[in-house]
Amino acid sequence: MKFSATKEKILEGLQQVQNVVSTRTTLPILSNVLLQAKEGTVNLTTTDLDVGVRGGFEANVDKAGATTLPARRLFTIIRELPSSEISVEVDGKNAASIRSGQSFFKILGLPEEEFPPLPKFENAKVVTMRQKDLRDGLRKTAYAISTDETRYVLNGVLFSYKENKLTLVATDGRRLAMVDLELEFPRSHEADIIVPTKAVTELARLLTDDGDVKISVGTGQIAFDLNSTLLVSKLIEGNYPNYKQVIPSEAKERITLERETFLNSLRRVSLLASDKSNSIKLSFSKNNIEITANTPEVGEARESLPVVYKGRDFSIAFNPEFLMAPLRNLADDEIFFDLIDEMSPGVLKIQTPFLYVLMPMRVSA
Amino acid sequence: MDERCKALWEKLSAALKPQVSTDTFKRWFSAVELTKATEDSLTFRVPNNIYQFWIESNHMAALQSAIISAVGAPRTVRFLSSTESDNENNFGTPEVQKSDHSSSKTTGLGLGLNPRNTFESFVVGPNNQIAHAASLAVAQAPARTYNPLFVYGGVGLGKTHLMQAIGQYVWAKRKTSRVMYLSSELFINEFIDAIQHNTLVKFRKRYRQAGLLLIDDIQFLAGKERSQEEFFHTFNTLFDGHKQIVLSSDRPASEIANLEHRLVSRFEWGLTAELQPPDIETRLAILRKKARALQINLHDDVYQFLAVRIRSNVRRLEGALMRVASFASLSGKELTQETIEHLLKDILLEEWRQTVTIEQIQRKVAEHFDVRLADMTSKRRPASIAFPRQVAMYLARELTKASLNEIGDAFGGRDHGTVLHACKLVKKRMIEQDNIRQTISFIDSALQR
Repeated sequence: MKFSATKEKILEGLQQVQNVVSTRTTLPILSNVLLQAKEGTVNLTTTDLDVGVRGGFEANVDKAGATTLPARRLFTIIRELPSSEISVEVDGKNAASIRSGQSFFKILGLPEEEFPPLPKFENAKVVTMRQKDLRDGLRKTAYAISTDETRYVLNGVLFSYKENKLTLVATDGRRLAMVDLELEFPRSHEADIIVPTKAVTELARLLTDDGDVKISVGTGQIAFDLNSTLLVSKLIEGNYPNYKQVIPSEAKERITLERETFLNSLRRVSLLASDKSNSIKLSFSKNNIEITANTPEVGEARESLPVVYKGRDFSIAFNPEFLMAPLRNLADDEIFFDLIDEMSPGVLKIQTPFLYVLMPMRVSA
Repeated sequence: MDERCKALWEKLSAALKPQVSTDTFKRWFSAVELTKATEDSLTFRVPNNIYQFWIESNHMAALQSAIISAVGAPRTVRFLSSTESDNENNFGTPEVQKSDHSSSKTTGLGLGLNPRNTFESFVVGPNNQIAHAASLAVAQAPARTYNPLFVYGGVGLGKTHLMQAIGQYVWAKRKTSRVMYLSSELFINEFIDAIQHNTLVKFRKRYRQAGLLLIDDIQFLAGKERSQEEFFHTFNTLFDGHKQIVLSSDRPASEIANLEHRLVSRFEWGLTAELQPPDIETRLAILRKKARALQINLHDDVYQFLAVRIRSNVRRLEGALMRVASFASLSGKELTQETIEHLLKDILLEEWRQTVTIEQIQRKVAEHFDVRLADMTSKRRPASIAFPRQVAMYLARELTKASLNEIGDAFGGRDHGTVLHACKLVKKRMIEQDNIRQTISFIDSALQR
């Protein structure tokens, strides 16, 4: 096979797929990228057997064909090449010659046949939605995914299709993020599936502001078709916990906050929250919140924030990182913070269907 | 909940209530049941896993201090969740259940377990009775009966089958327990990988949180010192945490060379069960069971023939059956003894090589050279007897796995030097004299029939 293309095009194509490349060395073929050249495009595919991505770039294809090349190596070579025009030629033994300006590289690949094919989707349930919606939804939830591998059902985002709504949920046992997206689909498509973290991270990277994404759910696997790119992933087996149990039924106090102001204050104060006693305290009094952090033998920080508040005086402590994560990932100017008392979970909400439940930390005396 | 647990739970609740908010208590603890209380642990039943996750993450401190004030000392807290049934009620479209069911199978595969290797498909005979019973006991009550269970036996006798059966049994019964099945080679590779990428912590976490650890072919750990050390700690952690460990090997733990003593002694701690080659009845039963599973229909004589001729290895037995069956269905010809023999030439040859005994060799050689069988072991050594004896020794060396000493013993208590000398001499004469080479290859092929 033989093709030529611009450096930018190739890099862009490789960047889309190379994150998936397996870091495990047990199966060498998995650290390779599959290149398939035909009719003006070169398709790129990578997989780690759990997640697979297919993308591509435009090229002048002189000779169609396919091979696999070590992805990381190819990427670093292309990135360093001096000139914009790059030509790649692969011989029958899967050795690729890369020429650009005065540079010449030869890297050895593996035959195409060894590359595991991406799974086929037959009888899959397909729904289509706007890429932007899905990207925003994932952004608002993905940070709450659990990294504790013993709770493997939590190592991903729940996609719950029910009653013309797609609900995305992520939790790690201390906090829970949830988004509802309006979506039309037949009743037969209702299902609860768990998409693993790696697929979610990659997907969030690939999704763009324009265009639609076609989501196909098959048995134990899911595919996201973004027109130019395709991501397939295994699903996490098992039942996602009944997350509705976590959501407090009613709030005693609702505080309206400016997201950025609140986030900035938290960020500043959290500088003096140590790793050990990683908590910051919010003390509510009439029309004021006082945010404090205190680490013995280090020091303390305090900042007050004027708000509209007419309820009783009380204090509640949170893990600052957990409180800041949703604030960073939301786009709204205004957020609502619903609280009950110092021992009950706090809930962050915005105008659109979104919910973030956060357990308070115990305030020591 | 029996009376004692009930009373204890009431005490606990009373101690717990002031520590958490009313809403929290109602939401998370009102549905909890105390099902078992022992000297060092308390087991709570929760409606589904969200209770476990949330209580573990957020209310453990409160729960522990309530336990201390109620019983006077800390206890290990365990949770039992009836997740499966409950979630079906919550997300109960029939479709979800169906896909759930099929997905459970794929995970079984994901664990590296072959769905064909179950207890149902295992043929029990006197050769493997103990191993089978022990495995079943372990599967039914992990970490209660024999821990660790150490299964050993030769190639193709069902070690892997039994281990995978345990894995699948446990997995099917309790979806929540983490079953890990792998070969020791994979363990070593992942360990090396972890060192390379500096992810030892992750590696340890992964293995030390297993609920049931099945390691196949543990003998490959021999000589890998750091892997052994790592495995030693994993073993201890799991053992102390009352997690079941099952190991398999091709030889007893004490005979694995270059395996640290502390590991050997630990392997022998629980139950050691040996798998022996099946007897003829068991072999017949295996063949019939396999034939039924594959829907093969062959004449009884064929089974009989295969069972008689292939003794050492179940895998080979099944392979032979497959070969004969596919030949029969492809060619449509009648299966005669000759066709089967021709078909299985290589297998039978291999089989024969393993089963030929020194005695058979002696008999054949004595017959060929027309000397008495007793001369093979006698002290007399005129050339007419000495040479056939040397030929027999040479053949015994070539065709059996017996050591020089064993051969010497079988030839009337000669020492290994004598045997070695005989082998060298015969080899030399085979090169020099054509007729001797022909004679020996004739005896060789006669033995193979």
